[in-house]
Amino acid sequence: MAADCCYEVSQIAYVKLVLHALKHPSSAVNGLLLGRLRQDGSTATVEVADAVPLSHAQIGLLPALEIALIQIEEHFEAEGLSVVGYYHANERHNDLELGNAAKKIGDHIFRYFPRAAVLLLDNNKLQKLKTGKGRDPAVQLYTRDSSRSWRQTGSDGSNQLTLKEPTANIVLFDYISSEKWQQIVDFDDHLDDISKDWLNPGLFD
Amino acid sequence: MVGAEEAARLDRLEIQVENGGGGAWEYLCLVRKLKPRRSDKVLKHGLAILNDPKARSNLGGEEWTLYEQVAFAAFDCQQHNVAKVFSLSLSLPLHIKSEKHLMDCVAVLSKEFPGSLRVGRLEGMLLEAENSWAEAEKVYARLLEDNPLDQIIYKRKVAIAKAQGDLKVAVDFLNKYLEIFMSDHDAWRELAEIYVSLQMYKQAAFCYEELLLSQPTVSLYHLAYAEANESQCIEYSGFIILLFLRFLLTAFIEQVLYTMGGLENLLTAKKYYASTITLSGGKNTRALYGICLCSAAISQLTKGRSKEEKESSDLPSLAAEALLRDYKYRAPKKLPLLNSMLKNMKLSS
Repeated sequence: MAADCCYEVSQIAYVKLVLHALKHPSSAVNGLLLGRLRQDGSTATVEVADAVPLSHAQIGLLPALEIALIQIEEHFEAEGLSVVGYYHANERHNDLELGNAAKKIGDHIFRYFPRAAVLLLDNNKLQKLKTGKGRDPAVQLYTRDSSRSWRQTGSDGSNQLTLKEPTANIVLFDYISSEKWQQIVDFDDHLDDISKDWLNPGLFD
Repeated sequence: MVGAEEAARLDRLEIQVENGGGGAWEYLCLVRKLKPRRSDKVLKHGLAILNDPKARSNLGGEEWTLYEQVAFAAFDCQQHNVAKVFSLSLSLPLHIKSEKHLMDCVAVLSKEFPGSLRVGRLEGMLLEAENSWAEAEKVYARLLEDNPLDQIIYKRKVAIAKAQGDLKVAVDFLNKYLEIFMSDHDAWRELAEIYVSLQMYKQAAFCYEELLLSQPTVSLYHLAYAEANESQCIEYSGFIILLFLRFLLTAFIEQVLYTMGGLENLLTAKKYYASTITLSGGKNTRALYGICLCSAAISQLTKGRSKEEKESSDLPSLAAEALLRDYKYRAPKKLPLLNSMLKNMKLSS
């Protein structure tokens, strides 16, 4: 079902998720993707409009995830957005496998949104970005196929995953150079100090 | 674990040193004591001191400790060349600055200082940083023969397993280590975290139980134990709360596998969230949320049972009130979200 669907990631979502991963280089990080489904005739496109970083420690613990899901869903409903996916960055540099924890959370989101996407940060591509030489998005896209397992798409060369703004990588590279990742706040940070806002308002001003 | 006051002092010093206000040595000593992971800063300021001959000679004997600290920082920042230089310097009693000379000294040094455990460990870590796992393991095996009770080397072996992604092997090693060194709290915590990442919540809970027994006043362990218990229940029943908030009860009932096991876990979790709140003076946001989630889940699971078995305490509504109060003062923008969440859980009106 998801094979004919395209995924378009906005700059805001993309930059947020990479900065989040960079802020916590020695642990796994994850977060939710918010967006909407756009139908243009026969093609369906999932527009990923925003991302909310969730946690950077003890990702396997579920209570915080539950609370985050409830509050995030409610907040974004008012903007006409819903949870359309999940992103994950592995702890180890060369680990490009989608782990069990990520799959489980992905499964849960899939129940509400059958075209759910899981984006896994690709550290090799991110490394290239750091040297200013990357053109592709530094993430891998996984969708659920009919056999109920998460499969990487786009590996056969098809362009299912695109960045909405082609300058996204350049902007990201700028932010990396200026160490912008220090300012990003995730839901974990919020739970430790509720005055920190997981919506990250003003991050890109 | 770092106390709040010392953490604040560390941050202040860091800002001061970053802005050129001096105090680098004090900062580095505090980092050594508190062990936060600030490798890029340590590397920068440590190198600055070491490259300045006057500052270096002021350190006297402490100079070698600094070399070691900077070497560790260099490993973390993947600056292998820096680390190479320093692990060699540590074995050298003289200040030889030429790199070529240093490289040549490797073989001579291993012959000259064969028994130095500390330097041996650094050499092992250098190999680790270069991803030469087999070589590193050989170095550690050799060191272990002469020093069979060296805790750090055992931990390096766990680190190697973890770095290669062999979590099951890491778990094995850690368990064997803990059989010998049962009172090593850091090791219990590390094991618990690995179990959590493998979603083995029951085993993680067991580790936290050990920690609770030996350090019953640390609120962090109470919280972690509660979360591990709650995760066990949530996993089994499939995200109870979200389902019942969004769908009709019928859909929810299909999903929930009601078992005594699930309820027991929730009750345990609630108890330990409560003890976390007591220990932390009511300030722990996660514990307050935890109580709300647990109570909502428990009342959902015990629906239809007789009244005596139902929970009857003020705890959930008190926790809800505490959260609302806190959000009102410190995060007013999020107050509406919290309000509606608690209303749905029937914990506030």
